[in-house]
Amino acid sequence: MDPMEVFKIEVTGQEEYGAKKYRELIMDILQDLGLIRSIGRLYVYIDILKPFFAVYGLLRSGIPPLTAKDVGDVMRVSGGYQIKINDEEHMADLLRALWEHYGRERVEQPARDMLIIASDTSPSEIVVADLEAEFLQDLTDALVRVAPEGFRNRRNEMTKDSFLFVAAEESLTPEILSEIKKKIREMENA
Amino acid sequence: MLEPVMFTGGLYKHDLVVELVEDLGGYILQKNVTQSEIILLILVPSEDKAALEDLSKELRGELVRAPLAGTEVAVVTPTLAIHHLPHTACDIAEYLRRHGSKTNMMGLARGVGREIAQINEYETALINEHDAAVFIFGNFQECIKKKEGLYRNITVPVVVTGGPQIEASELPYAFEYVPAIGRVAHRARKATEIGTLDRIVESIGRALDKTRTTIAKDPLTTSPPRVMDAVREQVPDVMFSYSPLPIALNLNGVRVKLPFEAYKDAVSSVSFDEGVKLGEIATIRPSRMKDYILVRILPASETGFVF
Repeated sequence: MDPMEVFKIEVTGQEEYGAKKYRELIMDILQDLGLIRSIGRLYVYIDILKPFFAVYGLLRSGIPPLTAKDVGDVMRVSGGYQIKINDEEHMADLLRALWEHYGRERVEQPARDMLIIASDTSPSEIVVADLEAEFLQDLTDALVRVAPEGFRNRRNEMTKDSFLFVAAEESLTPEILSEIKKKIREMENA
Repeated sequence: MLEPVMFTGGLYKHDLVVELVEDLGGYILQKNVTQSEIILLILVPSEDKAALEDLSKELRGELVRAPLAGTEVAVVTPTLAIHHLPHTACDIAEYLRRHGSKTNMMGLARGVGREIAQINEYETALINEHDAAVFIFGNFQECIKKKEGLYRNITVPVVVTGGPQIEASELPYAFEYVPAIGRVAHRARKATEIGTLDRIVESIGRALDKTRTTIAKDPLTTSPPRVMDAVREQVPDVMFSYSPLPIALNLNGVRVKLPFEAYKDAVSSVSFDEGVKLGEIATIRPSRMKDYILVRILPASETGFVF
């Protein structure tokens, strides 16, 4: 079963096999990069004679940025705050954010999973990583991997809740783009 | 008739196998040591194969037929980017290796796309130094048909692989077309996928048999394994080559992995018991692969004798 609500793929000409395989391929790549849960609907349109490759997707609700309190438990101790790290994956990002905010001399790490900050302001709300930006970066990487390799003229339009990725061998003209957009609107309404 | 076989077993006492093969008049083509295991690619006279089977049973080793042993196959992808590697290309290359072939993987510089795919003279010549080639294409039949231009000028048999079913008549320049292995993003592990790999091996086997039949019509002056043995004995420096296979065998010659300028004379003056020198019965020229020496044995029609 598809984890996505809608996943349509259309290829012009006698290319049913290609369409079927590209479906598997897109699934494999999105799964490999852990992106599949964040995409709600996906429409793929391939014209192999022109040739171009287009993907339009709707994203599931935005991911809030990761703050210090998501990464560990923040506690008030004498002389400042203590963070007990639960998720070590973001340790480097957390340290960088704290150094930037408080300065290196006020951040101490007595143990691997323990940080002590000599300050009266709580670090709870400090942004450790912008997961949405990371997600969009990963998504672009996935789309470049999915597109056939020779299609080096690319266009990527990303908004907060959707993306349109077009790749072609020849230069992308406004006519091709409007044709793709029209086709994808048809697929959406079908 | 020499039979190609692969011996897999423990390192301990493997020299008994080597000695037996030499006593029987066979050849050790390749020796791969992986910690305490060893893989030997062997050519053994078919009438004496039973003796080798007995010995390998005694040593608790495994002896299987390796139909592609002593040949070199090029596995060609449109580029070496993530779109083609690692899954399909590496699976095919590894599977061919398991059947005894020496496999070289090649990515073309500008092989991508449908309209823009190209191959240059150097790449064509390099592929032509092999005994057969596998071209790995994708999932769209239009592209597979269009990309015929990449292998049109290749003189060795080319097996084309791709996703969809295509009639052989639509790919006239390919030796054979093997469907059901287009671009995939996972390793081949299902029975159907392994079956497709088997079909590629069978197809390569048929391509090599065709070349063997052509060679048999005008036999080579001597056999490539014999040249390999003589070069190994008389140009000992070849054993210091860092390459895992210092002398690679082809159906019509060998590739000696030593610098051409420094060693061409040494290779050319390798002599045989019959009193001829290698330079008299073979052409010795620079290989397109690095700075190696390519030895191509002349047929009997040119030298006038066979030994």
